[in-house]
Amino acid sequence: MSINRRNFFFRAAGGFASLPLLDLLLRGQAVKQPHFAAKAKRVVFFFMNGAPSHIDTFDPKPALTRFDGTPYKGSLTVGSNARPVGYLMRSPFEFQKHGQSGLEISSLFPHTAKFADDLCVIRSMYTDTAAHASGCLQMNTGAVLLGKPAMGAWLSYGLGTENENLPSFVVMTDPRGGPISGASNWTSGFMPAAYQGTLFRATGAPLLDLSTPEGLDTTAQRRSLDLLQSLNQSHLKSHNNEDDLSARIHSYELAYRMQTAAASTVDLSKESEATLDLYGIHNQRTADFGRKCLITRRLLENGVRFVQLYSGGGHIEDTWDGHNDCITNHKTHAGETDQPIAALMADLKRTGLWKDTLLIWGGEFGRTPTSEGVGKPGRDHNWYGFSMWLAGGGVKGGQVIGATDEIGFEAVEDRCHVSDLHATILHLMGLDHTKLTYFYSGLNQRLTGVRGNVVKKVLA
Amino acid sequence: MRMLLGLVLVPAVAAGAVDFHTHVRPILERSCYPCHGPKAQMHGLRLDSRAAAEKGGESGVSALHLIYRYISGQDKDIKMPPGKLLPADDIAAIKQWLDDGAHYSGEAVASAAPEDEKFVRGRKHWAFQPRAVAIPPHVKRPAWARNPIDAFVLAKLEAKGWTPSPQAEPRDLLRRVYFDLTGLPPTIAEQNAFLSAPTPAALDKLIGELMERPAYAERWARHWLDVVRYAESNGYERDGVKPNAWKYRDYVIHAFAEDKPFNRFLTEQIAGDELDDVSADTLIATGFHRLGPWDDEPADPATDRFDQLDDVISTTSQAFLGLTIGCARCHNHKFEPLTAADYYSMVAIFRGLERPRSGRTELDLPVGTRAELDRETARDAEMAPFRKQIGKLEAPYRAKGKGWQEQVPAEVKEQIAELRAKIEAYRRATPDLPRGYFLHERKAPELSHILLRGKPGALGPEVQPAVPAILVKQQPPFTASSRTSGRRLSFARWLASPENPLTARVIVNRVWMWHFGEGLVRTPSDFGLMGQKPTHPELLDWLATRFVEEGWSLKKLHRLILTSNTWRMSKALRPDYQAADPENRLLWRMPYKRLEVEAIRDSVLAVSGKLNAKMHGPSVFPPIPPQALEGSSDPDKIWKPSSAEDAARRSIYVFPKRSLIVPMFDALDLCDTARSAAQRMTTTVPTQALTLFNGDFVNEQARYLAGRLHREAPDSEEARITLAYRLVLARKPTSEEMGAMRSFLAKDPSRGLEQIARVMFNLNEFVYVD
Repeated sequence: MSINRRNFFFRAAGGFASLPLLDLLLRGQAVKQPHFAAKAKRVVFFFMNGAPSHIDTFDPKPALTRFDGTPYKGSLTVGSNARPVGYLMRSPFEFQKHGQSGLEISSLFPHTAKFADDLCVIRSMYTDTAAHASGCLQMNTGAVLLGKPAMGAWLSYGLGTENENLPSFVVMTDPRGGPISGASNWTSGFMPAAYQGTLFRATGAPLLDLSTPEGLDTTAQRRSLDLLQSLNQSHLKSHNNEDDLSARIHSYELAYRMQTAAASTVDLSKESEATLDLYGIHNQRTADFGRKCLITRRLLENGVRFVQLYSGGGHIEDTWDGHNDCITNHKTHAGETDQPIAALMADLKRTGLWKDTLLIWGGEFGRTPTSEGVGKPGRDHNWYGFSMWLAGGGVKGGQVIGATDEIGFEAVEDRCHVSDLHATILHLMGLDHTKLTYFYSGLNQRLTGVRGNVVKKVLA
Repeated sequence: MRMLLGLVLVPAVAAGAVDFHTHVRPILERSCYPCHGPKAQMHGLRLDSRAAAEKGGESGVSALHLIYRYISGQDKDIKMPPGKLLPADDIAAIKQWLDDGAHYSGEAVASAAPEDEKFVRGRKHWAFQPRAVAIPPHVKRPAWARNPIDAFVLAKLEAKGWTPSPQAEPRDLLRRVYFDLTGLPPTIAEQNAFLSAPTPAALDKLIGELMERPAYAERWARHWLDVVRYAESNGYERDGVKPNAWKYRDYVIHAFAEDKPFNRFLTEQIAGDELDDVSADTLIATGFHRLGPWDDEPADPATDRFDQLDDVISTTSQAFLGLTIGCARCHNHKFEPLTAADYYSMVAIFRGLERPRSGRTELDLPVGTRAELDRETARDAEMAPFRKQIGKLEAPYRAKGKGWQEQVPAEVKEQIAELRAKIEAYRRATPDLPRGYFLHERKAPELSHILLRGKPGALGPEVQPAVPAILVKQQPPFTASSRTSGRRLSFARWLASPENPLTARVIVNRVWMWHFGEGLVRTPSDFGLMGQKPTHPELLDWLATRFVEEGWSLKKLHRLILTSNTWRMSKALRPDYQAADPENRLLWRMPYKRLEVEAIRDSVLAVSGKLNAKMHGPSVFPPIPPQALEGSSDPDKIWKPSSAEDAARRSIYVFPKRSLIVPMFDALDLCDTARSAAQRMTTTVPTQALTLFNGDFVNEQARYLAGRLHREAPDSEEARITLAYRLVLARKPTSEEMGAMRSFLAKDPSRGLEQIARVMFNLNEFVYVD
């Protein structure tokens, strides 16, 4: 069913709107109370697009050393799309215990490893598909089928926005391109467009059409806007102050303020050299993701609810999709992101945002313990088991949850479906995944569908 | 292992020796009734009477069919009782009892389960009743009633002691009727023509004229495309182009232009391939079934097959019945009197449809009359041996890999050329038919079963094609033809039959919504228990009946609505009425609604003078800012912009790509393309202001408009400002406005006019039509 504006009011406010709130409500984004006390108020999702290998990152498998070069004898279908199946392949990366917790992390992440005691690694993730498009959709929207709202949209819908001058759900993609299925990964689906993710750029004008048109300076822009607003105001007066008309007038003022607010979040000129260094912004390899991580901190400081950062874009080796050479691939992508992610963690701790910011790291699935083709260094898709980590607000760090089997193929202990992860994220944000519903097409729709259990072990 | 146990132990209870009271009831009482008995009915299931057990729980399947499966451990997911299976003896006893016919001999009949409340309500639900014979009511001000619509509306207002809003000003009506019917503003000549003598009769005449314009068909076809989840790509990883899908869009435009009766329109879309008079058009119409998203690399092909059918069933039932039957896929509908059996009976209707594909590539198919198709088939059969021969001749050289053509000896080349010439001769004699993107029944539908919990592997009882039981006293006949199963055609006939309480109401309500912004039923695709009740039920029935009587003509319906005084009311707000009826449910005024993004964009183009009125054909790609492509996995390839001329065509011709919606469309509330969309939402967010104020499109068109103003009003600043007002707003500026504009121009003589044009495209008055 569709939402007419009145329904929309009702849902947005949980009752009738009071007039001062009207403009925000028209946007459907007034701050709303969570179902219970939230442990986290905002989310950063480091989306390792293309599916990182858990076996080479957070799930050490000593047995693979033993079985290295032998064929896989189990019953699972290996990989995707009838790609060549090679032999079991040990990880070339060394794992070490880190921190007081002794959490094992591979040599790909020396910086992140310094925060081992903050990480809660779920080693028993599994999903419903071995294809990127549906896998990304499932991780982002809870369903393998197209058209469901993204998690960020659900959070905007459930919690509203803290700063009307900035979008509440921000997405930053990799310079090599977006994820497969593009904007379907941050859509508001059947919900109003107000909840959809907004693409944000780390350089230049961060938002589409944010800049004043070419050839106009700020004065000319303001003069045109003033003309528009004065004409609109007299129109409004002759139209009995219609709500819709007044909301639209307000939206132009917000847009004007957004020009300043959004532009200032990407202006890093006031950040210290030390900070820029911390994020690796002076280093070519880490510059892009570092910039995005630093901008993320600034967005969070300014009340943005959900920031999603993509590492990897386009296809195959431009993403974490290491079909051909998982080793080089992961060195590249981990090398680009490890230091910036750790820098953001350090910075969040420094600024105090850490305690109520939830960090999520992972991709749409994992990779196979076998190589792709005999003697080749690639790994294929694995949806039976993979790792993700959570950290920050409400998360019990320094622990591992669940386990895959001996060779890292299938989650076997404390299995955690993507919908369980979603339920847990919502829980940390103060939302009950069974109660955060949106009536559409005859159903009370949920992010988690009919599934999902909060993973209690995650909670601090 | 468990299966084996059951097999071994069954003989332990002699056939016929199982007595319900002695052997079975104690087991049930001990192990089943605690959750499925008189006190508790988990998942809606009660097992303590035969009637209740047969009715089943949420799955909609008789428990007698399922008990053994669940207690024997055969089902992968559900094992009953939970936690621990029954002793083998008990399982054997229950099996025997079931095999003997599951008699609850002498049981307390009084304990028969009460019927589910949904079905009780459903049988009385307004939308499932036949249409009432509605007689326009008597009103105190009969003069206000230009036609019966007004009488229905006025009667409700009078009952409250209210009066309808006065008629809108001529200029407001002028813009209203142009935007409503064509989605474009009136030109200056058209303004002059109407405003010189703006009588009600002149407006009546104008309505007739506008409906004959191509612009009407383009505007109204777009409404229908929302309902049918129209897009020209599949979504997902490759987001492949649906070959020739645009022909469906053109089919819809033609249908609106020629006022194709809606019953025929729906029949062609549902069963155009099963008709006696199949044509290219009727085949293309069944593209309706194929417009949804398609994952060419599904996680599970068996589930995918039913996902595809679900897309068809959900779209069909929402579009034509206003029912959300898709929710009954895994179990009986939670809120509606629709069962899983209803759902899978619909599956049986559409089961014959399957996407023609070659691996991950979708195939289009030839279109034409039966005779034409048969001719092409026959021709292809005759050509086939030559093709085969060519294949044989080439095979040894092809095997040599790249550059093989070079290695073919001259005499073989000659032979091949001769064969090719023969094939060409056939093709000249019987030219290739055009192709279309649609689905047809290629083979007899497989058997259909209820799928337990919606899982393809978990077959419940077999079902036959049938329409939702709550809607009929008796199932309509499903009759096969010599060519096809006839299931969809039978279904379409039922949809359009007098016995169907929903179809006419649903379309009439949609049309009302497209004229008024809100329907008489404000949930246009949900007429079920969860939907809203009509604000004017008698009017809805009267309109639906009249619509059917007048041959399902949409144009007659438009005329009826637009000639009413109700549609001609002013939009002026009455604070006292607003306070009492903030949703305008009594229709005390014409409500405001922002123009759809297509109408905004098309109007900007029309006013700037750049609109390219070319109709039909493959879709176009207006430029998209490079930043917007960054979210795509193929930023360099995904969108090749069309020429400026093509890019200036109406928005209905803009390529709807599921993974990349034109940002301006996305920002301004284009409907979701993944599923049937009942209504455009209107959100008001700052990114829309950014798009319309700073975006390239509006700024470019503002420059064109400024150029046009200079060209067409070279004499004076006043003349240019006046012309701008007339073009954009269909009125002259007030003296205050003129003053404001002139002082603005004075500050920036070089770019001032262009800025004025930009400002005017952003005015509330431009996008909220009075």
